[in-house]
Amino acid sequence: MIKNMKNMKKLTAILLSGVMLLATSCDKYLDINKNPNSASSATAELILPQALNYTAGLLNSFNTYGAQIGGYSANAGGYGGFGTAFTYNFSASDYSGLFTSSYDLLEDYQTIINQTSTDPNYSYYNAVARIMKSLHFQQLVDTYNDVPYTDALQGGLKFLPTYTSAPVVYKAIADELDAAIAKINAGAAVTAVVPLGTSDILFAGNTTKWKQLANTLKLRIILRANGKVTFSNTSFSSDGFLTADALINPGYLRDNGRQNPKWNTWGWGYTGSAGNKAWMPTTFARAFYDGIKITDNGRGKAVYYQFPTTPTNQLGQETNSTVTIASSPEGSFWFPSSVRVGASAGNATGVLKGPNAGFPLLTAAESYFMQAEGALKGIVTTTTAATAFSNGIKASFTYLYTLPDGSISGNPTADAATYLTDNPTNALVNFGLATTTAQQLEAIITQKWVALNFVNSEQSWNDYRRTGYPKVISTAGATATQTFASKYSESTRPDKLPTRLLYPPTEGSYNSANVPKGISPYTSLIFWAQ
Amino acid sequence: MRKLLYTLVVLMSMSIVSFGQVRTIKGKVSDQNAAALQGVTVRLQGKTEKAVLTNTKGEFEIKAQNGDFLLFSFVGFKTERVKVAQAIMNVTLTEQVNLMDEVVVTAGGVKAKRKEIGTASSIVKAESLVAGKSTSIAGGLQGKVAGLQISNTGGGINPNFRLVLRGQRSLTGNNEALLVLDNVIVPSTMLGNLNPEDVEDIVVLNGSGAAALYGSQASNGALIVTTKKGKNGVTQVGFSQTTTYESVAFFPKIQEKFGAGGSGYGVDQFGYGNFSYLENQSYGPAFDGSKRPLGPPLADGSQDSTYYRFYPGHNDFWEKGLIKQTDFNVSNGDANSTLYFSAQYVDQKGTTPSDVYNRANVRLNGTRRIGNTINITYSTSYTQNRYNTTSATGSMYDQMLNMPVNVDITRYKDWHNDKFANPNGFYNPWYPNPYFTLANNRATTRNDYLTANVEIKFTPIKGLDFVARQGITTRNNSYKNWTGAFKYTDYAKHTDGSSKSDISASVSDGMSYSTQLLNDFFTQYKHNYFTDYSLNVILGGQWQQDQSKSVGVSANGLVIPDLFNVSNGVGTPGASEANYLSRKMGAYADARFGYKNYLYLHVSGRNDWVSILAPENRTFFYPAADLSFIASDAFDFLKNSNTVSYLKFRAGVSKVGQVNLGPYSLLPTVYSGSGYPFGSQAGYTIGNSLVSPSLKPEITKGYEVGFDLNLFSDRITSNVTWFHTNTVNQTVTTGVSQTTGFSSLLTNTGETMSEGLEVTTHVTPIRTKDWNVTVGAIYTYLNNNVLSISNDIPKLSLATYGNGSGSWAVANKPFPVIMGYDYKRDGAGHVIVDAVTGLPTKSDTISVLGNAVAKHKLSLDGSIRYKSFTLSFLFEYRGGYQIYNSIGPGMDWSGTGWRTALYDRKRFVFPNSVIADPANPGKYVNNTNIEIANGNGNNGFWTDGINRDVTSNYVTSADFWKLRELSIAYNVPAKFLAKSKFIKGCTISAQGRNLMVWMAKDNYYTDPEYSSAGSTSNGIGLTGYEVPPSRYYGATVSFKF
Repeated sequence: MIKNMKNMKKLTAILLSGVMLLATSCDKYLDINKNPNSASSATAELILPQALNYTAGLLNSFNTYGAQIGGYSANAGGYGGFGTAFTYNFSASDYSGLFTSSYDLLEDYQTIINQTSTDPNYSYYNAVARIMKSLHFQQLVDTYNDVPYTDALQGGLKFLPTYTSAPVVYKAIADELDAAIAKINAGAAVTAVVPLGTSDILFAGNTTKWKQLANTLKLRIILRANGKVTFSNTSFSSDGFLTADALINPGYLRDNGRQNPKWNTWGWGYTGSAGNKAWMPTTFARAFYDGIKITDNGRGKAVYYQFPTTPTNQLGQETNSTVTIASSPEGSFWFPSSVRVGASAGNATGVLKGPNAGFPLLTAAESYFMQAEGALKGIVTTTTAATAFSNGIKASFTYLYTLPDGSISGNPTADAATYLTDNPTNALVNFGLATTTAQQLEAIITQKWVALNFVNSEQSWNDYRRTGYPKVISTAGATATQTFASKYSESTRPDKLPTRLLYPPTEGSYNSANVPKGISPYTSLIFWAQ
Repeated sequence: MRKLLYTLVVLMSMSIVSFGQVRTIKGKVSDQNAAALQGVTVRLQGKTEKAVLTNTKGEFEIKAQNGDFLLFSFVGFKTERVKVAQAIMNVTLTEQVNLMDEVVVTAGGVKAKRKEIGTASSIVKAESLVAGKSTSIAGGLQGKVAGLQISNTGGGINPNFRLVLRGQRSLTGNNEALLVLDNVIVPSTMLGNLNPEDVEDIVVLNGSGAAALYGSQASNGALIVTTKKGKNGVTQVGFSQTTTYESVAFFPKIQEKFGAGGSGYGVDQFGYGNFSYLENQSYGPAFDGSKRPLGPPLADGSQDSTYYRFYPGHNDFWEKGLIKQTDFNVSNGDANSTLYFSAQYVDQKGTTPSDVYNRANVRLNGTRRIGNTINITYSTSYTQNRYNTTSATGSMYDQMLNMPVNVDITRYKDWHNDKFANPNGFYNPWYPNPYFTLANNRATTRNDYLTANVEIKFTPIKGLDFVARQGITTRNNSYKNWTGAFKYTDYAKHTDGSSKSDISASVSDGMSYSTQLLNDFFTQYKHNYFTDYSLNVILGGQWQQDQSKSVGVSANGLVIPDLFNVSNGVGTPGASEANYLSRKMGAYADARFGYKNYLYLHVSGRNDWVSILAPENRTFFYPAADLSFIASDAFDFLKNSNTVSYLKFRAGVSKVGQVNLGPYSLLPTVYSGSGYPFGSQAGYTIGNSLVSPSLKPEITKGYEVGFDLNLFSDRITSNVTWFHTNTVNQTVTTGVSQTTGFSSLLTNTGETMSEGLEVTTHVTPIRTKDWNVTVGAIYTYLNNNVLSISNDIPKLSLATYGNGSGSWAVANKPFPVIMGYDYKRDGAGHVIVDAVTGLPTKSDTISVLGNAVAKHKLSLDGSIRYKSFTLSFLFEYRGGYQIYNSIGPGMDWSGTGWRTALYDRKRFVFPNSVIADPANPGKYVNNTNIEIANGNGNNGFWTDGINRDVTSNYVTSADFWKLRELSIAYNVPAKFLAKSKFIKGCTISAQGRNLMVWMAKDNYYTDPEYSSAGSTSNGIGLTGYEVPPSRYYGATVSFKF
């Protein structure tokens, strides 16, 4: 028994020392939870370039949406299953990526804003992020009307963001642009201010251009609000508006994931595989080039393949026993070059240009046409409508004649002049022929529609819904040159077009208490829409 | 002990007078393994004084008359009664395990007698496991254990299985039972990579309490697999060969009346869509048997054609699979050591054309005693498997289902040489030839597994053991997936609305390893106090490390088209890397108190420390207790009962924590953006996941009560258990509104409940020398619910499709439920249709359409032995649940779906529909005559969203019956083998698995066991383009030497 007790004591001692060992080595043994796979934070310098590139990718999706609904593109031969693209009877999942990707991207800009808000050295980064935030919130409002703004982008602090009324968002983002310009001006006075440098893949660190972009975006906001929002400040800073194309280019090249996103979608993949062949130009759009509405040989040839005989279609028309719809060539009808070897194609004019082209955030042409409209309405006083209109057409020719490397193919100035003489009686081309304000507005918006064809198509779609230009004729039996509405439209609107998208299914699932209900794609208007 | 017993038997033998013509009977007694049994008592029935004992060679000599009965009895073996008919009588005794004293392995590798255990457990023995010759252990276990649901989630070769005990507890974490191999925790993938022939037995610990000593992973119950060891004094060599055929057991139901075409090509005078020679959709006219062209003419002017009638090509596409399995094993043992060696080779050709698989497996197990105090046990196995399959099963199947039934699919196999099968000449410009797709998209995978386990046990004094154990499981994997290039001719690209585009070649290649190390150290102390009290105490610690790494590289646009090497691409290759390291420590104590061999109290407690959680939350403690009371030993009236042979009551309570989280999950992440870096410019983006700051373990609390009752000398055995568990603090990744800036949130919230009844009963109505019949039933009732998630999150997506339909966890509903779109209905559930168009309307939001978890499971098994023949069968039923078949919308799209021809493609009145009653606003009247106009055509009802987007159209009953196993075995009697001196045993058997399946009537699609979300997802209830389910049938011949 005594021996046994001894054994028990020994045993207890062994066990106790074991437990002690366990306890002391515990922390060292277990503190291994540092993530070797991903970083947990990044600086503004690292977030900004990716965010701007994401903006280009997102604008590419917006361009697709604008082109498909807004009359630039129709279904091509060889494809079916277009569903709601034909009926416009949208479901929540149609184009839902526009909503979710916008907020995903906005979180990146918001992170820069949060990280730099109290550091004067990072004034430029802070300002740039605010400008981009403003741009994307306008895109959201223009697509969805009321969206979460005040409560949005707060992560775990607000799981169920409420929806902010669209005019309130508009006012706030206009203020944000003023604040951004003030930030840049304040930053210029800070000696240790961190330059944007190579992180700025839009303007290469040129802060004046950023301020011009801010002014131009503010002009876009004010024009679209059309007197429905009372802004705090409707004047623009002395930096003026953009006079050159604002192109995002992180160094696009023919490589895995590194191509210009529009090229990647419609042209060829970096391996030479064909892009999207399911779409082709509309008969409605070609009519602005082929002489049916306007003669525009210069830009027609710069943009379209096989112009002026480029095959076209009206949305909804499919190949059947009496009609054959042409199938799209590899590289799409929006790539004009006859050199069409996928692995080396590129270096062309028009809207796709090549894998290395910069992506248009906002072109000079759009800036000028907005100035023209602003001048027409007394919002802009630095130019006249006629001058800006003329500059807009020239800028459009210039952008479309520009090759990916920035050099210009042909003579845009001369061709822009020819354009005026080719359409001597057309008030949509020769501004002087437009006498009433309504005609002038129609000329401006129609020219903008032509200039933004497959460039920033969603802006044209916004303008159409706001102004009704370019004009469509929707009476029964309207031809494909008169309307771009689908042949299978289920829209109840007079123009047979939809007016908006539905909120995405994720909002219905995760924010159902707040998401607006009873939204109709035909009758729930964006606040500025007709 | 054995010696003492048979001496007693001899002593008790009393003299008795003998009659009649007495002669000397000689013979030999051996066990099932043909080893001689020494000391077997041989006596004449009713004449105990004649008892003799067998000698060391198992031989005996006894005097008896013809017609007498000899009784052969031996401790631990069933007594045999043999009629005297000849002078030489060789007898084989079979081992009999007294159910009460059967020793089973429980948590931690500790052995306990069955009667001491107060929680539910089942044992599946080797012969039952391999009866159907499943090449995977999971397949062999299906339907054999109460409370255990094993679902074959994918089909195909070496399919994945999902093993869940007692329902799902964790909302989004792991719910699969823990797998323990020779006392070492191993990843559940090992279930498909062990040789089932190596398994001695599998103990299933249904509840978390029973398994608590294994640590937090055991909250889902555990399967304890013990592999074979050599036996003292027995040398045995075994060899067997099995050939198994595999064929499709259930095809999706397709319509056989209409072929290619549709209203897009115009309509005929009857309103049917016109025929089209290139259309994939089957909305053309009814079959007329005429010869029709197929596809546009080729460049050479030739044109494919077909007779416009039904061809069974959709079924013939799937081939007959073949599995060849070779087994070899040798075992040996003496007083100090044992050895078991086995090797297995499995070679499989699947039902998908050109899918092949093989697996080779070797195992070496042994024990060694050193001196009187040290025992060393080791078990090691090495497995390698190789897959060569198509990587495009889903698209291949979709393309196949998009071929009209007037096209004989099997004609298009030779796509290399047959110009009409070649992608250039294939009739359909939109959906490629499935034979081409499967050949042009390949995946090769290799996996090498090593599992090893060494244990050293030191017993300094009797009753006190120190055990140290080291286990390792390591997997080494590599894969290469490739897509071949194809350049279409210009003619093919531009003929008749073609959308054919060149395919560029690509390849992805990767390697990974994962290693799990597990150390155990424990001490066990056993002692009996006085005569009535016993104590068994265990104190121990466990250390576990899981480490893995994977690296993947991919290249596209391969320059030399058939060189599938990542250095052969254009542009920058894609590259990825992932690392994983987690550690866990546990300290545990376990005590079992016994009183008089009929009352046992067992308590255990374990504390875990985990690396994955924040330091302040990383430690947690969980206790368990159970009680076992053997009434049949405690009460004299039961002890002496002729009816009740065994009655045990048991009860247990437990709490177990589980960390359902990978490492590195506590901090937000930022990622290199798509395309970045561009040259030297890097760019990072904020990840989309939010993490709540202080995550804690999930806690499962539960109890179980039950009894085991055996009647009539164990002729009837039964176990009944009721269990109930609640799991709180769920670690959940939930979707959040993207407007927060994020798309998901990881947080602790929610509670689930699982309760149910497990009943196992077996009856042996006939047990004679020649006949032995046992039949049984295993029934499980499961009520598995989500009690709450959180106020903010009323429902949680587990696995969903783009439109939000799918498998969801919803508060106060079964876990999980199928949600999706339905038609708008009136209060009584009738579909409301428009009074003019006859068309229904899709609901605005998703709603609950079904319960995805089987409420009732029933297995019926039986074994009938007549002399040397044994027939056994196993049926399994699951019922009371539904499934969403995502193949359905695709089949309706293509027009091959059975539903699309329900009304002969004519106008029809939507069944069970109502229309608004114009006289009574808000009321509805039955719709008897308003027809849906467009029941035909590829823009008609069947292809429209109003049919295909309505989830409820494809939610069907998931109920099924399956004949899981049927086998007949013939043990070649010893007398036939006597001539060859070296063959000791030979068995010939024929067996089948899943031979018959009976699905619910409305299930036109596939096996409800499948899960599109994969075997590890809790989002069950969804099926898709998995290959159709298989039946297996084959034969085995095995020898023992």
